[in-house]
Formats: sequence, structure tokens, C-alpha cells
Amino acid sequence: MIRNLIFALLILTGAGFLSSCAGNSEKENAEQEDELALPDSLTGEAPLKLSEEIIGDVIQNISSPVEMANLIKSTGVDFSQQILNNPENISNYSTSFKRALNLGVFSADLGYINSYDKSNIVVSYLLAVKNLSDGIRVGQFFDFESLKRMATNSSNLDSLMQMSVSSFNQMDAYLRQQNRSNVSALVITGAWVEGLYIASNVIEKTNDEELINRLGEQKEIVDILYIILRNYEQNSSFKLLIDHLSDLKALYKQVKITKEVGEPKTIEEDGMLIIVQAEVSHVEISSETLGTIIEKIKEIRADVIE
Amino acid sequence: MRKLIFTFLLLLGVGFSGTYAQCNHEALLKDALTQMGDGQYIKDFIVDLKNEKGGGPSGTVKYSVILNSRSQYKFNVVNGAGNSEKVHMQLFDGDKLLVSNKAQGKMYSAFGFVCRSTKVYSLVFSFPEGSEGCARAVLSLQRQFAAGEGGF
Repeated sequence: MIRNLIFALLILTGAGFLSSCAGNSEKENAEQEDELALPDSLTGEAPLKLSEEIIGDVIQNISSPVEMANLIKSTGVDFSQQILNNPENISNYSTSFKRALNLGVFSADLGYINSYDKSNIVVSYLLAVKNLSDGIRVGQFFDFESLKRMATNSSNLDSLMQMSVSSFNQMDAYLRQQNRSNVSALVITGAWVEGLYIASNVIEKTNDEELINRLGEQKEIVDILYIILRNYEQNSSFKLLIDHLSDLKALYKQVKITKEVGEPKTIEEDGMLIIVQAEVSHVEISSETLGTIIEKIKEIRADVIE
Repeated sequence: MRKLIFTFLLLLGVGFSGTYAQCNHEALLKDALTQMGDGQYIKDFIVDLKNEKGGGPSGTVKYSVILNSRSQYKFNVVNGAGNSEKVHMQLFDGDKLLVSNKAQGKMYSAFGFVCRSTKVYSLVFSFPEGSEGCARAVLSLQRQFAAGEGGF
């Protein structure tokens, strides 16, 4: 009896050790396989100037397609598929650089489409996302079948939005964990450029003050993106994009953002604390500066999606 | 014989209680999304803090978030079942603490933030007394203010 007990205890302990070792081994093998399978134009060259940790800390949430899409929809402007990137263009994206950038572009397009509840065209954009994500080996984060099911069920569009955004967030976290922040940076840049491009189109139609303010507020974001992308300037694929961001940064110097500091306000609503920030930022952007910035955004976007 | 079985069971019990229980983050995320309410999901944050070797405090975990002006956000958090303490969630602007889910001795499961200045903010999580624990938080967009609304 005693011997049986001791034997059982040893088996349990051994099984625990073996499973954790096997888990680690599987993880190591997966990581090695991922590194070896790094796509063409995004293989690492010179050491990074900024650590992966710093890059990850900064770009964690550069651009949320949800917020820009909501703001655009609130202007009352009609949905326009024409301004979006055509899913058929994915056949033009043969390098990992282009695939990563345009994965970001299509994520922004999806945010815009979802906010207008255009379930009839969302599937083609989901397919584009799936195709491009497979191409840069992050397809596992996009459960295409589930997303497609939600898209065809109009009562499930909120879930579709949540799942799409969540998939992108998980993919982003994975890329940074795998030291592929260069890919993450491109996806985020693509999404940011597309979001601004759509907003620019709407501004030209509506002259909406909120959107103009939001565009002006991107001044800090341009600076951040520029620093991040410069981190990869040793990779020749990044050069044009970095030059574009540099030009855009120069144009944004004409945008004035002032901050007014005061005291925060605290209110309790439905059992929840809400803080109203005291600091208020004011954006000053002339119509001339706005025009030049919009033209530059269009130029960048044209290069990104061609 | 009875002593041996008793000792074995005791050791097993001690082993389990001293071990940091694996967190079911999927279940936590599901709960957090439910409690998010009517807002638009933007991002979720994983909190998994363990004691350092030798029993040192569990530290903090920090995330950067870009929040846009004229927007009201909600940060809600769900604690792991095995936590001995509830997670402390704080939003900072640089070094300046803007809002915490612990106020006047009360722990809230969420806080709202009406942002009036677009920039990068820091969301910091920790456990009281440096204890271990896990949690999942969700950031959602509650509303965007037009000019003239909400003091804008």
C-alpha cells in the first residue's frame, strides 16, 4: 500500500515535470521555426537603436480604427466604398513589407465598414486581411470562418467589431513578443495612414471641425511613428516611408497645439468614478496647412497601396 | 499507515496553496467584455503578476495607451478567482496620477475618463502589499463629444 502511494506520487510529479518541459520545448521550436521563416524584406539587419520593449511600449495603441471610424460616422457623411483600398489589390502585395503595411490599411477599412454596418462588403475585406496575415505568418489570429459568420448575421455586428479589433490586438502583441516589432510597426503605420486618408476625404466634403481637430492632433503621433520607423532605416524597404513621414512631420510644424491646465473634476455615475480631465488641448491649423497635410497624406497613402 | 496518508495529503494541500494558480484569461476576458457595457471595445490588457523569487513583491505592469480628446473612455477590470487582493488600476499622465480605481477606501471595478488632451497615457496595474494575482482590463470608447457638448 505504502509502496503504491509513493509510486503514484512519483508518477504525478514526473508527469508534471514532463509536461512543462514539453511545453517549453514546443514553444522554443515554434519560435525557432518562426525566426527561420522570417519573410523576405523584413529580415533583421543592423541592431535596433530602440529596444523592442521601448518600441512595444510606445506603439501599443498608436491607432485605433474604432475611434476614427466613429468620428467619421458622426459627421453624418454617407459611407463610400470608393475611398477604401480595393481587396483585389492584394495580388499586388508580393513582399512582406507591403503585406504588413496593407494589413494595417485593411484593418482601418474594416473599422470604417463595421461602423457603418456594411455587412455586405465586409467579407471581402476579411478575406483580404486573412490573405495578407497568412502571408506574414500571423494568420492564426484571424478566425475567418467565425468572422464571416458574424458578418453575415446582422445582429452580430458588434461582436464582429470586437472580435476583429481583438484579433488585431492579439496579433500585435504576438509580433512584439516574437521580436518582430518591425512588422507590428508597419501594420500600425498602414492603419494610421488609412485612417487619416479616410478622414481627409471626409474633411474635404464636410469641413467638419472635429475631424480637422483630430487630424491636427496627430502631430504628436507623427513624431512617434517617425522615431519608431527610423529604428529600421537600415532596411532599404523602409526608406521611402521614413522620408514621407519626415515630410509630413515638417508640415505638421505649422500646426499649433496649446494646452490649458486646470483642475480635474470627479463625478460618480452608476457606481463608477468618472474623471473629467482638467488639461484641455487646443488645435490651431490654418486652411492652407490643412490642405498641404491632406495632400501629403494622399501621396503617402497612394504609395502604400500601390 | 494512516500517518503516511495524512502526511501525503497535507503535503499535497500545502503544495497547491503555495503555488500560483494559473489564471483563466479567456474567462476573465469574457467577463470583462460583458462588464464593458455599451461602449466600443478598443483594447484589453492582461495582468499577471507573480511574487519574485524569495517572496519579493509582485511589482507593477504598465501599458501605454493613446487617448483622444473630446472622448469619454471606460476602463473596467475583472479579477482572477484566486486573487487574495483586488487589482489596483491607475491612469497616469506622465508621473501625474489622473484616476485610480481605489478611492476613499473603496475599490471600484471601473472608472471613466473624459479626455481633453490627445496624448500617450500610462495604465498601471499592481496588487496591494505586492501580492500575486491576475486580472483582465478592457478599454472602451463610451462617447465622443461634439463641439458644445460636455464643456467642449
